[in-house]
Parts: sequence; structure tokens; C-alpha cells
Amino acid sequence: MKHKWLKSFIIITVFAVIILLFILNNYQKLKTDKEISVIFISKRLSDTNDFWASLIEGVNMAALEYDIDLTIMGPDSETDYVLQNKMIEEAIAIKPDAIVLIPSSYTVTLPYAKRIEEAGIKLILLDSVMEEEIGQSVVATDNHEGGFKMGEYMKQYLDETSVIGIVSHIPGASTAIEREQGVREGLGEYEKQIVDVVYSESDYEKAYEETVQMINEHPDISIIIGLNEDSSVGAARAVKALGLTGQIRMVGFDSSIEQIRLLEEGVFDAIVIQKPLNMGYLGIKMAYQSVMNKTIASEVDSGSVLITSESIYTKENEKLLFPFREEREE
Amino acid sequence: MKSLRGRINLSFLLIIAIAVVSFMIISINRSSRALKDTSVEYTLKLIQMVNEKIEFYIENMENISNIVINSSDVRNYLSTNSEQKVYTDKVEEQFRILMETRNDIYNIGIIGKNGRYLINNPDTGLNPYAKVEKMDWYAKSLEGGQVITSSHVQNIVSNKYSWVVTMSKPIHDPFSDEVTGVFFVDLNYRSISSLGEEVNLGLKGYVFIIDEAGDIVYHPRQQLIYSGLWEEELDSIMSTPDDVLASADGSKLYTLSKSEVTGWSVIGVTYLDEMLSSTNEMINIYYVIAIILIIVAMFLSVLLTDKITLPLRRLQDSMKEVEKGDFEVEIANPDTKDEIGNLISSFQLMIGKIKQLIENNNKEQEEKRKSELNALQAQINPHFLYNTLDSIIWMAEDGNTKDVVLMTSSLAKLFRKSISNKNELVTLAEEIEYTKSYLTIQKMRYKDKLKYSVDVDPAIEKAEIIKLIIQPLVENAIYHGVKCKEGLGTIFIEAGYHHKGILIKVIDDGEGMSEEQLGHIFDEREIDTRKSGVGVLNVHRRIQLYYGKEYGLSYVSNIGVGTIASIYLPDQTGGS
Repeated sequence: MKHKWLKSFIIITVFAVIILLFILNNYQKLKTDKEISVIFISKRLSDTNDFWASLIEGVNMAALEYDIDLTIMGPDSETDYVLQNKMIEEAIAIKPDAIVLIPSSYTVTLPYAKRIEEAGIKLILLDSVMEEEIGQSVVATDNHEGGFKMGEYMKQYLDETSVIGIVSHIPGASTAIEREQGVREGLGEYEKQIVDVVYSESDYEKAYEETVQMINEHPDISIIIGLNEDSSVGAARAVKALGLTGQIRMVGFDSSIEQIRLLEEGVFDAIVIQKPLNMGYLGIKMAYQSVMNKTIASEVDSGSVLITSESIYTKENEKLLFPFREEREE
Repeated sequence: MKSLRGRINLSFLLIIAIAVVSFMIISINRSSRALKDTSVEYTLKLIQMVNEKIEFYIENMENISNIVINSSDVRNYLSTNSEQKVYTDKVEEQFRILMETRNDIYNIGIIGKNGRYLINNPDTGLNPYAKVEKMDWYAKSLEGGQVITSSHVQNIVSNKYSWVVTMSKPIHDPFSDEVTGVFFVDLNYRSISSLGEEVNLGLKGYVFIIDEAGDIVYHPRQQLIYSGLWEEELDSIMSTPDDVLASADGSKLYTLSKSEVTGWSVIGVTYLDEMLSSTNEMINIYYVIAIILIIVAMFLSVLLTDKITLPLRRLQDSMKEVEKGDFEVEIANPDTKDEIGNLISSFQLMIGKIKQLIENNNKEQEEKRKSELNALQAQINPHFLYNTLDSIIWMAEDGNTKDVVLMTSSLAKLFRKSISNKNELVTLAEEIEYTKSYLTIQKMRYKDKLKYSVDVDPAIEKAEIIKLIIQPLVENAIYHGVKCKEGLGTIFIEAGYHHKGILIKVIDDGEGMSEEQLGHIFDEREIDTRKSGVGVLNVHRRIQLYYGKEYGLSYVSNIGVGTIASIYLPDQTGGS
């Protein structure tokens, strides 16, 4: 009798265990299937600007790819750091697994960004850094590399007599400093031939005026290098207006439809463009990997490409220069 | 499991579980295969539909194009032999109508070898920096072929950059039939890409389109591909003859549909884990159903076994009662006429029979006991009768009439009591009276040697006892105690309450008995001595026979001091 008891007990136990295992198995699956939540706080929420729109497109693509529960926040204006800081606080209150942030300010955003990490939320910075190094990773264009590409490309037009001018955007801005350094390194020995660096304050008009003035001061100038979109376009407009197209060789940074046209026209010999879609995509990917406790690089280069008038319509570049969205027309 | 119920339940559970589990395994296997097949088939249908839509769209455009390139106005417009201006308005009108009716046409135009061109309207200029002659579609169409480009940015129109798919065809001279130029139409890329976008292949799945050369026409992650962040196995896709292709890492399933019209392939990408997740979902549903089935089956099995075993258990309970000796237990009539019903009926019958048997047995036992009692009671010592009669004779010869009368009447009393009374029971007083008659006789026989006293609690005089239990003890006391003693011997008879019963003592101050004699007092062999009549053992056995083992006779004796015989009986004062 005792043996029979034991037998039935074992059978019942086995059944119970099997059923329990099924339940546990599925429960675990449910658990691992649980989406991770990421909040992306942009500098600017606007699809009129190609750069930010592409970046958000990349963010969305990665969120879909990694099954991420994504929330996008951001002020309408790039300079509205007050609103952005408020959004950071809101985001912390939601307690996501990670926050991907494009800091609006080099200084003012910092204490808020620090609070993200204090709350135990993984922080990934996109595009820009702040005065202190924080966050799991920074995904941005390697500005030094971008500048280097410009400098190196222009070498082919250089000789001992060349005179080089640089139109930068904001003195002391990290992107300005890094790109200029890159340019100087790319130019190599010709670096000494840089006669002037002017600042546009990220304004077309200012860039135009500064360029005209620079050309007046240095009539023998043969190379002008623009370090951001406003500076490049302003400078190119000046060169074009002064009828110096072809005489002064130009290379610019970033892309806009005007810049592309100027490139087609030959005012620019080349432009270096960033990859905002990649930036957004990689930012979310880093956030995902960081939440998954994978080791990630503290700095990730989202890449840049040098484009000449010949390479505008290659398959690879078309997509970068003309993101699909509304038709680009002026 | 000991109980039948448990065993039946366990068997049910086993059978059901085995059935359900095997059913489940087979179903899951078949269903997942079917699910996968359906999924692939579904995807294939979807992308074939996309392809058909594209074909339909492109064919439609071709028809439009054919109308344009065959129009003599268009052909004349480019012909160096004709006056361009004459045809401008007509061509423009044609273009205007087309652009108005088809808003998916971005640009429509003709470009002649000779530099004549008309795009959309006469106000539209060529992009001075675009090199039309270097464009693939233009060059190929000049050679006489029709071209459908992959998606690209059209830049030949000044200041206009649009993502389009360009279709181009050669235009022939109306006179010489030589190729004089190229007709092209730019189709909004959206009208193609939306066909791909609107297809839903699970949460992560998507559709992409490649052209004959393997260049991507549409891909939702085109830019990621160019950045190296995304890869499609285009080489294997281009070379496979099959409809379905698994990716190298096995995570994706490519479903292909190639169009003969456009040369494009529409490729559906489905994620196997998503396919599996729907399978898993199905498996989960199966599990839930299986568990519910097992629970329901268990519930039913418990109900059923209860139904079967409840009467059995009731029967079992009744049997336990019977086991304890209670034959009066109520056995409910069976509810059903099945095996168990029959069993219960049989049991009822059996119990009835057993009851009858027991009753019979009891009756028989009673009879037997009675006859035994009678037999035992009947054993009045005949020697005593001879001796007494002898004594009477002696006394009569002596002329001692008075004594003769006394003795004879006592003897008569004695016999009347012992013989005539049919009842087993007499009152204690009657029994004492009887004993006194005996003692009277004995006293007369032993003259100065015997003396007696009786002390009975008046409260128990009415107590009923079985008859002839004191006299034999007195007889024993006389023959074994007083008779052997030198001089006068005394017998005391006492009766009173003791604990819950009645204690009757017959005490003599005779010579007493040794341990050994005491030990033999209940011996069977001692019964039939000449001295003893009914015998001590007889008394003891009758008491126990009648009242039970806890009652009876006991002796205490000391040599030279005397003997005490005690009878312990239940108190049956007032008789019952």
C-alpha cells in the first residue's frame, strides 16, 4: 500500500511540476519580452528642419528594431533650454530605463542631466556634449574627423602661394574648436597659410559680411572653409556675389538645399555632411545596449561624408542629402 | 492511493492527461507547420499583390508614355525638319492634361538630341548644372530602349529635387524614324514606396523593392543600409530561384516576387521570432485549453467517482457498524439498480439473514443456559437426603416426634423450594429462608457441634438473586470446616451492600483450608464428592453464567482460624 501511495504521489508531483514549468516558462518569456522604455529628449521637435527630422526618423527606426517603448519630447526651439530642462524633470518622473538627450545648453542642462543619472536612469547623449563628461555614451559626429576631411580634400588645390580663410560659427563652441582643429590637421603643412578665422555667430548675414570683409582684407585669398551650415552658405553667397566662383575654392559643412545647389553650381568644391539618421539610430541602439548591460563605447561616431558635385547623386549620398519627406523645392 | 475513489480519479487523470498531452503535441506540431505555411503563403500573396499593383501602375504609365511618344506633335516637336514653335502649344496642352489628371507625375518631358526640350511647361528650365546626357536613362533610351529607373533624385529641372522613379522612352523622327530624343516621366517615389509601406508583415516585418541590377528601389531603412547599419542579403536574394529564402542567421525569412514587366523584385521580410510568437501564442492557448480540460475532467471524474463510491462508502460505513456488532444499523435502499445497487440489496439481505441467525443463536444459547442452569440446580446431594432420612428414622425410633416433625418439615421446605420453584430467581430473603431450613436440619443432625447466625441487611432482602447459591456454601462450610473441628463450630451468614453490588458472606470458624485446598476448591473433580452437593464450582459457574465474569465467588481461608466464602452479585433490588 505504501508503495502505491508513493507512486501516485510521484505521478501527481510530476504533473504538477510539468504544469508549473509551462507556466513558469511562459511567465519568463513574458518577462524577457517586456519592452524597455526609452525617452528621447530632443533639442528641437520640428520636421521642417532636415537634420532634426532625420535624426528623429533614425530614433524611430531603432525603437522599432529593438522593441522599445519610445517617448519623444522636445521644445520647438533649439535654444529653449528652460523648457528642455523641465522636460528632463518630467522624463525622470516617468522613470524610463534610459533617456537619450540632446542637451540644449553646454552648461545649464548639466545639473538636470546629472539628475537623470542620479535617478538610476541610463543616459545617452546625442549630438552635443556638456562641460562635464556624463552619460553612458555620447553619439555624435566626430567633428575633428569632419574637419580633417575638409582640410585633406582641399590639399589638392593648394600650393605654397595659397591663402586660406576659415568661416567658423561661434568662438569657443566645442564643434567650432574641434572642426577647426580637424581642418588644420587635414591641411597638414599648409595649415600655416590660414590667414584669418572669422565667426558668423550662426547667421547667414553675418557670415556673408564677415566673408566679404575677409576677402577685402586678403584679396589673394584662394581657399575658404566654412565650418557649419550658416557659415558655409553665407560665405558661398559672398563668393558668388563677388563673382569669384571658381577663383576661390570652397568647402562647407552640413547640408541644405541651397548648399547642394551651390555645390552643383561649383561654388563649393565639396561639402562634408553629417548623418543625423545614423545618430538617432545609434543613440537608441546605445540606450538599448546600455539597458541590456552590454559594454558600450563612451564615444560613438555617427559618421560624416565628404560630397563633391560628382557624388551628389550616388545612391548612398542621395539619401543623405535628400531625405524622403516632402519634396524639396524652392 | 488506498481508496477506490482515489484510484479511479488517478486513472482518469492519467488517461485524460495522456490523451490531452498527445493530442496537444500532435496539434501543436501540425498547427505550427500549418501556421508557418499559411504565414509564408500569406506573405507571398501580399507581396505578389504589391508587385501586381506596381505592374499595373507601370503598365498604366507605359500606356500614357506610348500615347505621348507616338503623338505626331511630340515627334515633330523634336524633329529638326519641323518648326518647333508650331507644336509647342499642342505638346504643352498634352502635358498639362496629363499632369492635371495624374498628380503622381512630377515631371513629364521630352529632351531632344538637338537641344530642343519641353519639360512640364515652356517656363520650366533645365538645371544648367545637370548633365542630362550623362544620365543612364537618357543614354539608354537614346539607344532605343525603354528604361524604368530605380528610385533617385531627379535634378534636371532647375531648382527642383524630387525623389522619383523615371520612365523613359525613345522618340522617333516622324520622317526618318531615327531616334531624335527621349521622352521621360517622373513618377512620385511616394506612389511606389507607399505600396511597400502599406504592407503589414507583423510588427517588425517590412517590404522592400529592388530593381533588376539589385539596386534598392524602396527600402524603409535605405539610409541605414548605405550607412552599413543595416544589411540585406541582396546577393543571395538575387541568385535564388526560390520564392522563399531564409537569411543566413535564420532570423528572417525573405519572400520574393519578381515582376516580368518592371524587372523589379518585391521582397517581403518576415521575422521568424514573430512567426514563432504567433506559434507560441497558439501553443499557450493549447496549454490553457489542456489545463482547463484536465481540470474539468478531474472535476467530472471526482463527481462521477463520488457518484459511484458514495453508496459504496455508505455501505462501507454500515459494514463497519456491523463489524462492531451493531446489526440494527440502517442500510439505505440503493438509488440505482446497477451492480452497486445489487450489492447493497445483497448486503441488506445478508444482514437480515445474519440477524435472524444471531437471534436464533441467542435463543438457542438461552435455552442451553437455562437447561444447564436447571441441570446444575437439580444437583442436590442425594447423600444429604439419605443422611437426613436416616436421621429422621433414628429420631422416630427414639420417639422423638417433635424433632422428627421439625426435621421433616424443614426437609419438605427445602425440597419444595428447590424443586417446585420454576423461577431461576428468588429474593434474598427466600434464599436465606431456604438456607435456614437446611441449617435447621444440619443443626439437628450435628447437635452441639453446629451453631449459626444470620445477619442480612433488611434493605436488600427483596433483592433478587439466582437461587441455590448460599446453601451450597453453607454445606461446604459444614463439611470442610465445622465438621472437622473439635467442639462447637459457628457459621455466620452476612449479606449487605458492597460497592455497587451485593456481597453475601458465609463465614465459618472451622479448621480452615490450606493454600492447596483453596486451589482445588474450584476443581471439577471436587464436585462429585459425597460430601458436597451442588458444589462450590457449580455456584461460581452459575453466577458467572448468569451475571457475567465480573461477578462470582471467592474464598479466603486460614488453617485453624476459619474460612470466608464471598459471593459478589449485582444489586437487583426490586428485581428486573
